[in-house]
Order: sequence, then C-alpha cells, then structure tokens
Amino acid sequence: MDLTHSAEQLELGAVARSLFTRECPTSLVRRLREPGSDGLAPTLWQALASAGIFGIPFEEKYGGAGAGQYELGLVFEQAGRALCPTIVYSTMVFGLGVARLGGDQLKSRYLPDLVEGRLRASHATWNPSNAADLRPRLSALRVADGWLLSGRLLFVQNAQAVDVLMVTARTSVHREPQRTYGFLIQPGGAGWLARALMTIAHDQQSEVVLSDYFVADDAVLTGPDGTGLAEGDLAWLANSAIALQCMEMVGGTAAVIEQTVAYTKVREQFGRPIGSFQAVQHLVADMRIALDAARLTATQAAWWTGRGEIANRAVAIAKMKCNEAYKWATLNCHQLQGGMGYVLDTDLHLWSSRAKLTELQGGTTDTAALWLERESGLI
Amino acid sequence: MNFELDAAQSVWRDEVRAFLRENVTPELLAEVGEHRTTLLGGEVAAFRKKIGAKGWFGLNWPAEFGGMGLGPIYQHILMDEFEYWGVQGPDLTVTSVAPMIMRHGTQQNREQFLPPIARGEVRYAVGYSEPNAGTDLASLKTRAELDGEEWVINGSKIWNSQAHVATHEWLCVRTDPEAPKHRGISVIIVPIDTPGVEVRPLITWADYRTNETFFTDVRVPRTNLIGQLNEGWQYITGALSLERGALTNAGDFRRHVDELKELVRLPLEDGTRPVDNAEVRRAIAQLDADVEAAVLMGLEAASLLEIGEMPTITVTVAKVFTSELRQRIADVGTRIFGLAGALSTADPAAPAAGRYEKLYRNAPLMRFGAGTNEVLRDVIAQRGYTMPRLGR
Repeated sequence: MDLTHSAEQLELGAVARSLFTRECPTSLVRRLREPGSDGLAPTLWQALASAGIFGIPFEEKYGGAGAGQYELGLVFEQAGRALCPTIVYSTMVFGLGVARLGGDQLKSRYLPDLVEGRLRASHATWNPSNAADLRPRLSALRVADGWLLSGRLLFVQNAQAVDVLMVTARTSVHREPQRTYGFLIQPGGAGWLARALMTIAHDQQSEVVLSDYFVADDAVLTGPDGTGLAEGDLAWLANSAIALQCMEMVGGTAAVIEQTVAYTKVREQFGRPIGSFQAVQHLVADMRIALDAARLTATQAAWWTGRGEIANRAVAIAKMKCNEAYKWATLNCHQLQGGMGYVLDTDLHLWSSRAKLTELQGGTTDTAALWLERESGLI
Repeated sequence: MNFELDAAQSVWRDEVRAFLRENVTPELLAEVGEHRTTLLGGEVAAFRKKIGAKGWFGLNWPAEFGGMGLGPIYQHILMDEFEYWGVQGPDLTVTSVAPMIMRHGTQQNREQFLPPIARGEVRYAVGYSEPNAGTDLASLKTRAELDGEEWVINGSKIWNSQAHVATHEWLCVRTDPEAPKHRGISVIIVPIDTPGVEVRPLITWADYRTNETFFTDVRVPRTNLIGQLNEGWQYITGALSLERGALTNAGDFRRHVDELKELVRLPLEDGTRPVDNAEVRRAIAQLDADVEAAVLMGLEAASLLEIGEMPTITVTVAKVFTSELRQRIADVGTRIFGLAGALSTADPAAPAAGRYEKLYRNAPLMRFGAGTNEVLRDVIAQRGYTMPRLGR
C-alpha cells in the first residue's frame, strides 16, 4: 500500500501537463466549440503522437509503451485541466476496447495506427446516461459475408469525425440464441445517418441512425469462443472509461480552483484582496475537501480498472464524488469570480459547461449511487 | 395572521391572470427568449404598452403621482403572476427608481421624471457597479463636476444591464472626491442618447446581454441631480433594498416545479419514466418544499412593507435562499433526464426545450449579483443578530 506516485509517474504527469499547457490553450478549446467545427485538433494531435501518449497503455508488440492504463489516467487528469478535446478520450477508449475484446488480427489492424496517431476513433457500447446499462441499442441481421445493423444511438462522441466506431448489437440468427457482438464500423455510407447534438459544452456528439448498415465479417468482435462478447469485458470497458473520465474531472476541478484562488488574491474590494475574507477562504477550503475526495476515489478507480478489474464499487464511488466536486467547484468559482468570471470573454464558463456535461455523461450521482447500492447488495 | 388572499386580493389576482392569459402569446415568449442578445422587436414593446394602459406601471405609486396607490401585497401578487408566465412586468424603473424619486427627489425631479415612467414611455438602466467597485460599491469613481448649469460626467459603469434598450441611466456618481467614500456620492439622471455615452455589450455564460457603459464629457442639465447633492448613498442603498425585495418573488420557481412534475411523467429514450425513480420524486418534493418557503419569504416581506416596515433582513434572507434555490432547481432540471439534460435550447430534442440547461447557466448570476451572498450572510448575522463585525 502506497498512495504516493513514483518518480516516473510524477514525471509523466509533469510532461503531460506542460504538453497540454503548450498545445491546448483555451483559444483552441474555444475554436473547437464554434458551430461547424469538426472537433479535430491536428497540432495537438501530432504533439500527443510524438510524445508517445497514444501508446501508453498498449502492448509493445502493437507499437505501444506497455506502461499501463493507470498511467493513461494520469495523462487524462492533465487533459482535463486543459479541457482537451473529447476526440482524444474517445480514441483511447476505443483502443482499450479493441485491446480487450479483439483478437490478434483486429488489434494488429487498429492499434499500431492508433499509437502512431493515424487513427481517430470512438465507441458506443453502453447507455450514455448509465454506463452500467450494457444492452445494445442496435440489432444485427445475418447476411452473406457479414451483418446488417439497424437502430438508433444517442450521444456518440465525435461520430462524424472519426475513422472507426466500436458499437455493439444483438444478433438475430434463425435457431441461434441472441448474442451481443461488437462491430467496428466506418462512419458514413449506405444506411448511416447522423445528426449533431447541441449540448451545453458544445462538444462533438451525435445521434446516429443505422438502417441495414452492412458490416463485413472481418470487422466483428464475436467474443472469446464466438458466442458473443462477455458481459464482464463490456462492463470493464465501460468502467475503465468512467474511471478515466473521473481523472479528467479531477484535473478540471483542480484547474478551476487554482485559477479562482489566483483571482481572489489580486481582486481587491474594501481595500484588501477578497481572498483575505474568511467567507471566501471557507468556500475554497470546501472545494479542496471535495477535490481530495474526488481525486483519491478517481485514482483508486483508475488503478483497479487499469489492473483489469471491473471494480464496480470503486468506479461508482469515484463517479459520485467527481460529479459533485467538479460541478460545485465550477459553480462556487463563479460565485468567487463574480461578474468577471461570468462573461464569455473570460474562460471559467468553458470548465463550467464541461463539468455539467461530464456529470451527466455515463451516470449522474443518483445513477452511480444505484450502482453502489446494487454492488453492496442493498438492492 | 392570515394565509389566505382576501376577496379583493383574489379579484386582483384573477384580473392579472386573465390579462396574462389573453396577452402572453407564443410570439411574445419567443421574443422574450431572444431579447437578451438582440434589440427588442415589436412584441415586447406592444406588451409593455398594454401594461401601461392598465395603469400597472404605477400600481404601487400614490395617487398624487398618477399611480393606483395599491399596496405591496398587490404588487407582489402581480409580480408573482408575471413571473409564473415568464414575462417581465413592471421592471426596476417602476419598482425601484420611481419610488426613490418620489421619496427623495425635488418637486421638479418628480414633475419632470415620474409622468413618463407611469406612461411606460421610458426605461431606466441602473448604473451602479464599476470595474473596481462591485461589492464595494461605495468605492465608485465615475465623476460628475458642475460647469455652470450643467453636470459634466466622466467614467464608466459595468454590469449595466438593459442599457442597450433603456432610454435613461439612473447614474451613481462621485460629486465630492474629498469626502469620506459614502458621503461624496450623488445620483444624476442621464438620457442614454446624450453625446458621449457609449454602450458596449458584455455577453454572459447565460447568453444574457449586459453592458459596459462609458461616459466621456457627458453634459446634462444641473436639474437632473436627484434630491440633494452628496446624499446619493442613502438613496441607492434604499433602491438596492427594494431591488432585493423585487427579487424575492418566486413565481418562476413555482412554474418550474409545476412543469417538472409534468415532465417527469413522460418516458425517456430508454422507455423508463423519471417519476418511477424514487430519487427523482424526492428531489422534486424537496424543491417543492423549498419553493413554498421562498414564496412565504416574499409574502412576509410584502406584508412587512404593507405595515410600513423596511423588511431588510427578510429580503436579505430571501435573496440568499432563492438564489441558491434557483441553482438547485436548475441542477435537478438538468440531471433527471439523463444525458439529454445537457442538450441546449439550440437542440430540438432538448427536454423542456432546454429551459433547465439555460437556467443552469443563468443561476450563478443571482448568487453574486445584487449583493454577493457572502456579504449578505454578513448582513444577516451582523444586522439580524447584532453580531460583531470583523474586517470589511
């Protein structure tokens, strides 16, 4: 037991932090929010590829660093500080999915490109409002050499900008039991219809409707013995994504608190910095307490899922703590920055919008509490 | 003590409701939704004219000033109904500026400035805060100097809401830079179209437009000074109290809770209904109870005003409570529909047309605006319980 980071882990965090500070300024974040933006950030993307960030969790035989998924969490924490575009997260979660669910052939097809920064990807393998709900939203009909997918997916991140998307569907084959298969599909083409969703965070999310969308057999994840993906593997992927998102939320929470504290030290009213008032300090202290709870529970969840565990309990707790810490930190930072932090010309609202979105994404605090209640045998 | 409206008050409420039912059209609401960022079109102007024709802009004014002479309870009932319907009724011009002119203005001030307000012809923006004088308002630096028969004004105001649609500025200025900071302040009325006034937009997170207004060698007649020279601080603190009083209505809160009760019965994307979830029911019940308390706070403040007391502590308590309640309503309204709660007004699939997403972005303003809740908590403790002051 040791809740401190190794020198290598600290070094990775510092490298990631300086990379995002340099390559992901709020001017970029603002540009990506503009209507019509594709959500791509080529310069940042290239910098991440050059720094080897995309290869961190993957095996060396696919070009990765084999450094571990927890280390990816440390990068996500720094990404969250800088409001890194979501295409980085969605690509990495896709990669984790392929690594866990795919055979050697699919891993060889996708992972080396992903590691090199040549592949952008996303995923839709759980209910975006409840990550514990793994029921596929698509149906798959058997045809010659492949499958026809139909159904509607909501809140697919970067669906219209990526090269490949991992989805799940329930198979329908005469005289066979229904199975859950994974499908790696290319956005666009016959049977694909996507509509951009307008969210509070102006991020790149879409509603995707598939109608008899053809997928060839060589892009199907059929599970270890061909009888479908194991629910445990899908649960692990969803939980890994939530744990990593929690790391992102921790970074965002820390960032807004630090910015706001800096503001209260220079903003003077009544002849003294407002940061010298006890009411202000207590609000800051409360945000710090919530941040520590969020940080510890998120790192725990990222660590256990990084070791391959499903970790329902740790993930539920992390989501509960991170949702509230991030949301209330942004709202209380608005309180401390007043009008100055409320206009669009200043940056705080960029985090506030992201905090609300990530709170709802994957599961609200009430939803995560249900996961915990179920895990604890209360229901 | 009586928790029931009397017969006359009920008639009044029914009259206001009937008026709103008839005149609040989808077209008007659409323009109200837009008017934060764009200039007013015809709907709001026409609606204001109808309110003016009813005489409601002067509903709380004494008959000698052309008002209806109705008491605070009647005013409260009207404001509450307007908020429930989501439209602006009598604004700060009538509820805050006009009473100050009546109470502190010279006879000439009253004759010159009140009649156009009663007719709904003019709209005031209230120019208090400056970049370095927010919560510490008495540090304001915008300067007015007398030159013959004219005031010459230089400086700037920030968070100057409505300035882009107002005809006049109720402007707080420093007229004696040598005096202690609370003593050298006066109020001067400045027509917005006076040369040297420049209104620049500031857009907030809620898409709400406020302004920064600059005054460069702006000249207005000497007689535009309200009341006595250097007595402005007591006028504006009175106006702020009334402003807070006007904020304690909870008509829009009641509307939100009523609406949420209906919305949670509709099925979500996955076929479930929020109302079948115990947490959702509890969250709404909690809001319902809090809104009830907020309504009572507003009614108590109105009742105290009715018997001639300035309800400083009551409206301060209500301001802190309602501003934090607004944040909770918005939070619940955005989290009980799953990720769909993140959809904005721009998305046709947004629950409640994105009203809660918008309210979520709107809510922070009321916590720090019109007196930050931190300072108001000091006021509650120090003036409500005569606790010792530290610092400030």
